Amino acid sequence: MNNKNLQNDIIIQQQKMTDDALEMRFIDNSNAVFKKTKGGFLSVEFNGAYYGRVCVCQTFPFTQPGKFISLRENDEKGREIGIIEDMSKLDEASRALIEEQIKLRCFMPVITKIVNVKDKYGFAYFDVLTDRGECRFTAHIFSGDIINLGDKRIIMKDVDGNRFEIPDLSKLSSSERKMIEVFI
Amino acid sequence: MKLNFKLEKDIIDKLKLKDKENIIYCVPFDLSTDGRLIKNSYTVVTNDRVIIVTEGAVTNDIPLSKCEDAKSEAPVDCGMLISTIDGEITLLARFSMKHHIRYGYVAKGIRLLHDGKDYVVRSRERETICEKCGMVMPKTKQCPYCGGKSQMLYKMGRLLSPYKGWVFLILFLTVLSSLLSMASAYVLRLFMDDVLIPKSGTISDAVKFFMIFIVIGVTVMAVSQMTVISSTLFSSKISNGLRIQVFNKIQQLSISYINKSRPGQLLNRVLWDTREIQRFIDDTLCGLLSSTMNFLFAFIFLLVLNWKLALLALIFLPVIVVILRLRKKRSRRLWRKSQIKSDLLYTRLQDVISGIRVVKSYGKEKYEEKQFRYINEQHAKATIRFEVFWAIVVPPTAFLFSLGGYLITYFGGMDVLNNIITPGELVQITTYCSMLTAPLVWFSNLPQRLNRLTITIERIYDVLEEEPEVINAQLPQKLEISGDVSFKNVSFGYDSYEQVITDINLDVKKGEMIGIVGKSGAGKSTLINLIMRMYDVDEGSITIDGVDIRDIDMHTLHSQIGVVLQETFLFSDTVINNIRYARPDASFNEIIMAAKMANAHDFICKLPDGYNTYVGEKGYSLSGGERQRIAIARAILINPAILILDEATSSLDTESEYQVQEALGRLTKGRTTFAIAHRLSTLRNADRLIVINDHTIAECGTHNELLEKKGIYYGLVTAQLEINDISSFEEVLDEAQPNVN
Repeated sequence: MNNKNLQNDIIIQQQKMTDDALEMRFIDNSNAVFKKTKGGFLSVEFNGAYYGRVCVCQTFPFTQPGKFISLRENDEKGREIGIIEDMSKLDEASRALIEEQIKLRCFMPVITKIVNVKDKYGFAYFDVLTDRGECRFTAHIFSGDIINLGDKRIIMKDVDGNRFEIPDLSKLSSSERKMIEVFI
Repeated sequence: MKLNFKLEKDIIDKLKLKDKENIIYCVPFDLSTDGRLIKNSYTVVTNDRVIIVTEGAVTNDIPLSKCEDAKSEAPVDCGMLISTIDGEITLLARFSMKHHIRYGYVAKGIRLLHDGKDYVVRSRERETICEKCGMVMPKTKQCPYCGGKSQMLYKMGRLLSPYKGWVFLILFLTVLSSLLSMASAYVLRLFMDDVLIPKSGTISDAVKFFMIFIVIGVTVMAVSQMTVISSTLFSSKISNGLRIQVFNKIQQLSISYINKSRPGQLLNRVLWDTREIQRFIDDTLCGLLSSTMNFLFAFIFLLVLNWKLALLALIFLPVIVVILRLRKKRSRRLWRKSQIKSDLLYTRLQDVISGIRVVKSYGKEKYEEKQFRYINEQHAKATIRFEVFWAIVVPPTAFLFSLGGYLITYFGGMDVLNNIITPGELVQITTYCSMLTAPLVWFSNLPQRLNRLTITIERIYDVLEEEPEVINAQLPQKLEISGDVSFKNVSFGYDSYEQVITDINLDVKKGEMIGIVGKSGAGKSTLINLIMRMYDVDEGSITIDGVDIRDIDMHTLHSQIGVVLQETFLFSDTVINNIRYARPDASFNEIIMAAKMANAHDFICKLPDGYNTYVGEKGYSLSGGERQRIAIARAILINPAILILDEATSSLDTESEYQVQEALGRLTKGRTTFAIAHRLSTLRNADRLIVINDHTIAECGTHNELLEKKGIYYGLVTAQLEINDISSFEEVLDEAQPNVN
């Protein structure tokens, strides 16, 4: 066994990995082909390599939802394949595919109307309409599961771990605001 | 957690179940592929197919044999069930976090069925929300609300039943004290009517009444003293009894139950939940009894005295109840708001103080001040609103309370003037009226307190009714262990949802030392837990000297296995008590001998109080190596036939490691030993090494055999070199070499 060689190999390999992680690889229609797989996921051909199932991550889901979308390999390591800098610059078909995958990966309904909130023994039982349909959920009042992000946006977590969003508090009607006033 | 939901008949019809086809799992999902919330959708797993029902219609129907590698994935706040079908990773169902845990189990179930195993996965996880009533469950098996008040009363009754005498005593005392209050009002009336009004009373009359008042006063005092004392005795008796019951149950329950409960949860059940019961009895039960009695007697006496005025008083009660409710609702909201703000304030403060170095080094003090000022103001505002509310609302409520009394005084006063009743009677009536309203404030708090009690009782019963998984056989054998251990087709998982080890086969002869290596999480410690019978195997069997360990008396088994773990646990007690923990009857000779063998005697002698030194959390702090040597002494003292070392030397520096190694060398001689080690060099004395990989024994043999194989073990040895200094490669290889002479 030649120790020197082994050592060199390891160092070279590690350097490669760091270089790979540092590189910014931008993906757009010019260098990549997006396709939907039969199983319902997204495949990408990029720089000559084919990725059978990629993971689509929004890097700024709240502030820049359509920008800097990171495409990653779908395994434990999750190596970054590349970044889509601006989704609006993709052609329509590709954009639809990416948006579909984002929706597939994340689930955070936006509350459009608060129908009723019942407050019972430390839990709040919500009855709301969301952009994903009507929904009932329960949140623990004192556990800090209701988070105020900035002045307007509110994220609420229910007892199962689902998150619900109120993007703009000021757009709620006064009666709705009164119902949730206690929690914010 | 429920894994087999009942389907409506029309959906079952659509499944077109064949002969001998049964539904094994049936779990709802609530998201469509494009993320809409949907209802009436299920993943149905039979012994032949996986069927997806979306919004009442079958949308996918796949033979089990094609569903490979079923998995439940959880990307961001939702989950999906996927499976490889015809080589293509396919999305089967999407669900919110509500069903996320359930699908972990179901995916495992599909994998097992796919592999042709008929083992049905069960979940011990608790539902978060009661299916029937939709209320949040307090981490218990049964919903405290659904059982209804009768269930709660039954459970409360069962708690109280051993203490019937106390209950009657307290009941008697409260009745007595109520009657005394009634009587004192009556005496007052007599005093007015017979002595004051006619102005015919003599000094002796005044003295007589004075004496009566004194007697009543003293009796009231004595009765209330007795009530408080007996209720305190009663409640602490109950809570002490419960605490011991819960504690014993927890000790009896298997490690799996304890591991599954969140840290602190069991502690809370022993301490807080039992204390809550005590507090309920102290505050609520006695208060409830005396309030009810006062209310009842006052009302009955009023009716007898003057039914018209009694009804007048009654008219005011609903008004008061409504006012109290309104006031409570509003004040609770305000209080909660100020509470939330104070939480925020606290969080912010904690953030800044613990991050003060960052704040200072980036010069962000001004920014933090602004943030803090803002939250502080909000907190102040919320608190002020709450206080102001009380200041404004409380006096008018009190006024409304007394308004009823004024009216009765007015109408009663008219009656007095019209000579219908005597002035003394009026005084008596107004006293009773005030006794009617006082308990109302009290009653309005009752639902909240009862709810707390319901949850507490449910939590306590949840532990008390839990059945331990690992129990002694009907006729356990008291085996004198000699040391042959063998594993036959052993499989096990902490959750039936995830197998940690599968199909382990191994024969270990008496006196052999087995080194267990493998990546962390591979199942090494699990294997050891099984030998100690902390858990029972799911499949296969472990035998010691040819006897299944499930047939060996647990106490006998544990007293013959010695254990030294990575994190040595020392109780907050003296060194000597820690050493003789498993054998309290050991002689001092034996203890010193054991300590010497463990290389511990020398350092113990140097401790300030020698063997009597108090160690542990609040005592003298020992180094890792010293603690480890005490643990070894503890193991030596019981002279175990089987010895288990779980990473016993991994957290030590080189010098103490040498001392510990030497002690271990003495300890392992002639005993069957299972040793787990991350640092392979510490296994140099092992007769055989087994490599656990992918939940099973991947390689087995001596150090040299495994190195020559150039398999996983070889990889592990070289990988350790990457972490350590490369130049020490050969050194490590040499070190890892067993001593073959």
